[in-house]
Parts: sequence; structure tokens; C-alpha cells
Amino acid sequence: MVARTRAERSANLSKKIDTDSFLPLTPAMFQVLLALADGEKHGYAILKEVARRTDDKVHLSAGTLYGNLARLESSGMIAESGERPAFGLDDERRRYYRLTEFGRSVAVAEARRMEEALSQARAKHLFRKPETA
Amino acid sequence: MTKNNSSASQKFFGLLMKILPFDFRANYESEMSGVFEEQRRETAQRGGFMDFLKLWGETIAGIFRTAPREHWQIFRQDCRYAFRMMSNNTGYTAIAVLTLALGIGANTAIFSVVNAVLLRPLPYKQGQQLIFIRQQAVKMGVDDIGWSVPEIMDYRQQNQTLSSLVEYHSMYFTLYGHGDPDRVRTGVVSWNYFDMFGVKPILGRAFVPKDDEIGAPAVLVLSNEYWRNNFGADPNVVGKTFEMNDKVHTVVGVLPPIPQYPRENDVYMPTSACPFRSSKSHIDDRDMRMMEVFGRLKPGMTLGQAQGDFSTIATRLQSAYPKSYPEKIGYGIAASQLKSDLTREAQPTLLVLLAAAVFVLLIACANVANLTLSRMARREREIAVRTALGAGRSRLLRQLLTESFLLALIGGAIGLLIAYGSLQLLTDFAARLSPRAREIQIDSGVLLFTLLAAFATSLIFGTISALFSRVNLNSGLKEGTAGAGASQHRNRIRGVLIVSQVAFSFMLLIGAGLMLRSLFKMLRVNPGFETQHALAMRISFNWSKYSTSDQAKEVAKKIVDRIESEPGVTSAAVSSSYPLDPDVLTAGPNTNNFQIEGRLLAAGEAPPMADTDSISPHFFRTLGIPLIMGREFSATDDAKAPKVAIINQSMQRRFWPSADPIGQRISFDDGKDWWQIVGVVGDVHDLGLEHTPMLQVYGPLAQDGGIGTLVIRSVADPAGMGQQITNAVHEVDPTAAISGITTLDGARSESVASPRTTAALLGIFAALALLIATAGIGGIMALTVSQRVKEIGIRIALGAQPSRVLVMVLRQGLLLSILGVVIGLVGAYGLTGLIKSLLFEVTPTDPLTFAGVAFVFVAAALIASYLPARRAASIDPIEALRCE
Repeated sequence: MVARTRAERSANLSKKIDTDSFLPLTPAMFQVLLALADGEKHGYAILKEVARRTDDKVHLSAGTLYGNLARLESSGMIAESGERPAFGLDDERRRYYRLTEFGRSVAVAEARRMEEALSQARAKHLFRKPETA
Repeated sequence: MTKNNSSASQKFFGLLMKILPFDFRANYESEMSGVFEEQRRETAQRGGFMDFLKLWGETIAGIFRTAPREHWQIFRQDCRYAFRMMSNNTGYTAIAVLTLALGIGANTAIFSVVNAVLLRPLPYKQGQQLIFIRQQAVKMGVDDIGWSVPEIMDYRQQNQTLSSLVEYHSMYFTLYGHGDPDRVRTGVVSWNYFDMFGVKPILGRAFVPKDDEIGAPAVLVLSNEYWRNNFGADPNVVGKTFEMNDKVHTVVGVLPPIPQYPRENDVYMPTSACPFRSSKSHIDDRDMRMMEVFGRLKPGMTLGQAQGDFSTIATRLQSAYPKSYPEKIGYGIAASQLKSDLTREAQPTLLVLLAAAVFVLLIACANVANLTLSRMARREREIAVRTALGAGRSRLLRQLLTESFLLALIGGAIGLLIAYGSLQLLTDFAARLSPRAREIQIDSGVLLFTLLAAFATSLIFGTISALFSRVNLNSGLKEGTAGAGASQHRNRIRGVLIVSQVAFSFMLLIGAGLMLRSLFKMLRVNPGFETQHALAMRISFNWSKYSTSDQAKEVAKKIVDRIESEPGVTSAAVSSSYPLDPDVLTAGPNTNNFQIEGRLLAAGEAPPMADTDSISPHFFRTLGIPLIMGREFSATDDAKAPKVAIINQSMQRRFWPSADPIGQRISFDDGKDWWQIVGVVGDVHDLGLEHTPMLQVYGPLAQDGGIGTLVIRSVADPAGMGQQITNAVHEVDPTAAISGITTLDGARSESVASPRTTAALLGIFAALALLIATAGIGGIMALTVSQRVKEIGIRIALGAQPSRVLVMVLRQGLLLSILGVVIGLVGAYGLTGLIKSLLFEVTPTDPLTFAGVAFVFVAAALIASYLPARRAASIDPIEALRCE
């Protein structure tokens, strides 16, 4: 069981706040939340995961990544993890981040928003091949 | 090699990180460096140069994208914190904001005037090319002798440096056909006058070459004010006709609202429409000089080149017409930039006021810094906690500067309102100094100045208070034990701030004191006439009704007789002008050369000059000018009688110091006509109380000169008699126009309005400074006493008399103010020379002012220190020791 951090406690409080107020998320923020969906990661790992999953289409620089991490952390969507790798594998400069419950619900809300948009596009036959003259 | 690359990259990355806020770096810098290092290593392994460039591009862009957002976040956070602090300390906030508002407001207000009058380019097309050209009689000390028509023609044709040269003169005419006869100030100008200035009428057209031809139909262009005030901004005014000078005049255009140069006129007419300027005698007479001349430099030409060009023409004219330019007058020509001419008079006053306003702001800064330092003592624990939690010195500085900036910004906003409220007062004041006063407004330049002033202010007082608030972490965290060392250090800084406030305030008060002394001396000047119970006004007759000036004078006599029979009027007279006449103060005296019968001039000696006035018999009696010897003019001194003159005492003292001037004769036309002196009257300060009376010659109106003014002496207060007198005038001549009705008390007061307003503004600034400095001394003494309660308690317990304690505290307050006064004394001694040109009969180092102001400061310091001293003297030693 991971100890609840102050950020998480504040995240729980902010759960009361409508997750919708954070929507739409920027693509970079959504990608960071996605990267943390399957487990905690350090900064460089998040960066690599986003690049791998998007076939290098989304390429975050250190400045952009940490700008987004700061925003997500201050709004309670992610939190610093208390767990660290075994002593020999650890790099003390690294910090590990994990998705909070609140972050997960915001990411889900964003995914639903996109899904809704997608289904509306489908209903409107937006993906139909263009007619040729 | 790779290692070297790595360390250089890390260094550069580290430098880049500096643009991110401190808090962000503290949180993420090490991680970001790690991530960047891994990215760099990976890119190096791939080995592509383009990849390397891409990495750097993305990294730099990412940091530059993140930095503003993070700075903004922290600024918002600091602002929220600052607002919380302010609402928790409403007393401190209110005093600081008010002090800053007064300082910034004073600066904004004065800057709005300086900006409009001195800084902004002229509101004319390429204003820097416009010049004012004066003909001078250097040997006679006359800066501007005016221009005659032949001279204007010569310079216009012969110059190589001007693209155009235009003439101007101003006269009063009476306009009929629009309600009552209206006496209008008329600018008589060349057809291309407005074209040269680049002024386009907002209605109709400007003048065209055809308008300037002799015999052309008379046309008028209305000034914007005259059109608004007298025609209700009627859009159909163009084409309307009026009668003036016995001719029908058609309005052809209306000017935009621009400063009219050289002075404000109601209407403008081309030279052909002016009955004087278009007369043959005027056109042909080289010595009939009454015009002013302006020019526009050809592109690329400089003022120096134009000056050289004009000097060549002047030399040519001197040899061609030696009679018109005799050696003895020292004929010369001078050109100056129009802008410098427009602002010459205003510059010294405005710069002095701006300097005074800056002093007030500096004093306000020192005061708020002092207040903030006092508050710091109370915030020591909070700051120590924040420091302990990891806030670095620069982070705290940033927080404190944000607080300062917000205070200054609120102060600036209120200051802007103060400036806005005082705009009309300042415009009226500046209008006496420059025609550009109408351009005064709160524009983007002024707003930017206010913002910069607020920013600079916050930087000054914020930095002082932040840098000198040494936080002693250990003592700060221990409740109630403010570090003795830190508090002593702060007290020293506070002392320095107080001393500097006193020094600056002292200098301001000296400036204001000198101006006030100068004003009082000016007001004590005996004007040479009785200003009480006297009324003056301008009067114009219908030129078409009276074909000769004798007929007009006959009517004027009837008017005077009629007015003298009015109840409450003791005497009346008509004259060419009256003392302190605002028109004469603006346009200058009517001076003429003269010679005294039987006295020859030495070789190279310039002929004497005198101000000449034409008056009707009861003029001296009406104005209360004393007759020293001889007689006044009488009804028998008419056109047929021998010409007679009355001179003033200055003239008598200069030419007949021990002889009787009565019976002596003088001539103004090289001996053609001789005027016999029949009387001597007292000197009159015609041209302003600060000006020494000129040599003055009065002649009877019946024998020479024109009527311009009507003066009345009454039994009671004449202020409400204007309408009664106007009605009486219209009973005799319904076509006579009356304007500019003023009491002579009013004219006298108006003549000192400019120095009075300057003294008042400086006085307000100085009073403000004194108040701030005195409050500062009181504040620091109260704080010192509260910090020394225990020590004073022990002293009293050990037998110190309360009176000794009182003296001890008073002495400390006195010491601060004396130190400030001494520094201020040195500063004032060096600086008051700058206001020398504004002073009247007071030296810039006037010992009485210096001593008086020093006394005021010492007294103020004693009063300010008295309350804290009394509190110190009444400390109960038992209570004081129990508190600790």
C-alpha cells in the first residue's frame, strides 16, 4: 500500500471539483497521464513512453515535460511516488511520479470527451471517402 | 572530447535553466538536467548532427515556452499572498498607498504638462523645420524690432534656405452681423500661412494666392474656439457673411483645435483684407515694422545655414538702404526653432516643478521603505519560517518586490486620478507659459510614465526594505526575541532614511520658501497706481462709421462724459492701453526712439527709447497715478494746440536729475515734430510688477495715437459695474464693441498668476514633504522608544529623572533632523541657483529663507519627537520590567 501524500489528499479534496473544469487537456498533458496509467515512472521514462506510443509524433523536451509535470502535480492529477527502485538501480536525481485517483478520473473524462467527439464524427460520416468527380 | 561536449552542454543547459523561476528550478532542476543528459547521450549514440540540432531546438523552445507560464504562476501566487498581507495590515497599506499616490500623482501631473509642452513634437507637419525669424536692433538692446512689408518681400525673394516664408500680425477689429458688435482678435497672415504650418481646416478651405491680392473679396477663417463658442459649432458657417472694417467678409473655413502660434486669435484674414497692411503707405514704407515672420527650412537645410543666408541678405539691405538700418542701432537678424521659441518661457518653471515632484516621490519612497522596514520587524518570524522552509534570499526578494510593486501600482492608479483631477488647474497655469498648454492630456505617454514611475518606485523602496531586512533565522524563530543586532541595524537604516527625507524636504522647502519670498516681494511692489475701485476694458469703434480717427476720438470724449455722469463713477478716461494690460504683457510695450532738443548723441551712442501711451485728460486721476510736477492734460490740449507730453519720474531722473524738465522738448521723428514736456508723473509698473518701469512718455489722445481701452474709477467695488458701463457706452455709440472687462485689482492679480501658481505648487510639494518627513521622525522615535522600554525602565528605576529621559529622546529626534538639515543645506546651496531666473529681488542663497526653513524643520522634529519622548518619560519601571 502506497502512503498517501499531501498531493493525493488534496487530490481527493479536489475530486469534488468537477473534473470537467480541466477539460480539454492539452495533448502533452493527456500523453503524460496516459504514460502513468500503467504504473509510476520517472521523467525520462515518461518521455520515452510517450515517444514510443506515438511513434515519435509527440516529442517532449525536458522543459515542456517538467512544465506539464508541475501543472499536473499542482492540480493534484499526479503525485510523487514514495517508492523507489532497489539501491543499486536508483538514480538519486530521479523522482518517480504516479497517477492519482483524481488524475485518472480527469484522464478518463478526457478520453470520454474524445470518444464522444469521435462517435459524433462517425455519425456524421466524416470518415467517408471523398467522392471523385 | 565527448566528456568535454557533455560538460559544455550541461553548462549551457544550466544557463538556460536560469530563465525559469527560482521555485521551479528548486523543484525540478536536477531532474531536468538528468533527463536532458540522457537525451543528449542517446542522440550522441545515434550520431546525427541534425538530431543534435533538433534536440537543442526543442530543449530551448520548451524552456522558453515554460518560463513565462511559470513566472506568471508565481507572480499570481505572490500577488494573492501580497493582497492577503495588505488586507491584514490595512493601516500600513493605506498609509503606504496614500504616500505613494501623492508622490506618483504629483509626478504624473507635472509630467503631463512637461510632456505636452516640452517633449512632444509640434502638432504641425514636420515641425522641426519651422523657424521664427527676428530682426534686431542689437545696440539698442531690442530683441525683435518687427518686419515691414518691403523687408518681408526682400527676404522672401532673396533667401536660399527656406521653402516658404510667411508673415503674421494681430489686431482687434469689430465684427458685425452676429448679435452684438463683437470685438475679435484677428490674425492677419500670408495666404500660405496655414499651408506652411501644415494645418488643414476642418471645414471649408484655407487661404489661396488669389485672397492675398489687393482688392480681392475679403475672406475669413475662424479659429476652432471662436467657431464653437460663438457659432455653436455650426457646420454651415462656411459661406456666411459678416461686416468688418466697412467691408463684407465671407467665412471660407474653420481651423482644427490646434495651438495657435504665436498667439490665440478669434479669426484670421489674408493681408489684403487688413486696412492697415493693405494700405499703400504701409506696403511701401520700409520703416513701418509691425509684422512677425516665420519660415520653413528646405529639406536638408539647418538652422545655422539659414542664419548665414539671412545675414548675407541683412548685409545687402544695410548697404542698399543705410537710412533704414543706421549703424547706431546695430541691425541684426536671428532665427530660432519654433519649438524652442514656443517653450522658452515655460522650460525653467516646468523643469523646477518636475524636479520638485521627483523629490516628493523620493521622499515618499524613503518613507514607505521606512514603514516597510518597521513592518519587517513584525514579519521577521514569518520570513524566518519561509526561509527555513527553503525560500532563498532571491525568492523572498521577489515576494517583497511583488508586494512593493502592487502597493506602487495601486498608489499609481490613485495618483493617476489625482493627476486627472488637477489637469484643468495645470492647463490654466501652463497657458500663461506656453500656447502648447492646450495639448495637455493624460495620453499613452503619460500612462506609460505613471507605470514606469510606479515600477521604479517599487524597485527603490522594495529593494531598500528587502535588502536591509536581515533575517536572523534563529532569533526570528524564537517567539518574541527579535535579534538585537538585526533591530539595531534596521534602526540605523531607518535613521539614514529619515535623514535623507529631511534633507530632500529641506531642499524643497527652501525652493518653495524662496519662491514665496519672491512672490511676497512682488506683491509688495507699489505698482505706481491705485488698483482698488478701478475698472478697465477694451473698446473698439466701427471703422466704417467714423472715417477719421478724430471722429472716433470725438465719440470717445462723449462716452467718457457720459460715463462720468453715471452714479458711482468718479472719473473715466480712454487711452491706448492701461497698466498691466494682459495684451501689453503678451505683446510687449509700444516703444519708440526719441531725441531731446539741444542734446546730441555721442558717436556710436544709441538713441534712447521710451514706452509711449496716448491718454485722455482724466487718465492719471482715474488710475491714481500721482502728478509730481507740472500739470495734467486738459481739454485744451487738442489737435490744434501745440503738442505736449508728460513724462514719468524715471525719465526725469535720467535726463534732468537736477534740472526742471518742464518746458523741455522731445521728438520722435528726427525733429519734424516737437513735444513740449508739461508734467511729470510717478513711475508705473506697466509691464509687470517684477519689471523696472521703462522710460515713459504720455501724449494727449487728441494730438496722437489711437483708443484701445476705457478706464473707470468708482466709489464702490467696480466688479459688478461692467454691464452698467457697457450700456452707457452703447447709449452713445451702439456699434462700439466692449471686451476684456476687468478690475485693476484683477489685472494686478492676473499679472502675478504664474509666479503665484509656481509658488503654490512648490509650496504644496514642500508641505507634503515636510509632513511626510515629520511623520517619519515621529514614527521612528515611537518605535525606538517601544524597543527601549526595558532599558528606559531600568534607567528610571536607577534614579533617572523623567525630564532627563524626555530630553534624551528629544535630543535623538533633534539629532536626526539636524543631520538632515545640514545635508539639505549643502544640497540647497548648490541647487537653488537653478531657480535664480524665477526669483524676484531674492538671492538663491537668501539667508533669511535658509534660517527660517531650518528653524521650521527643527521645530517640526521637536514636535514630532515630543509624544514619544513623553511616553518614554512616563514609563513605569515595574511595568516595563514585568513585560520582559
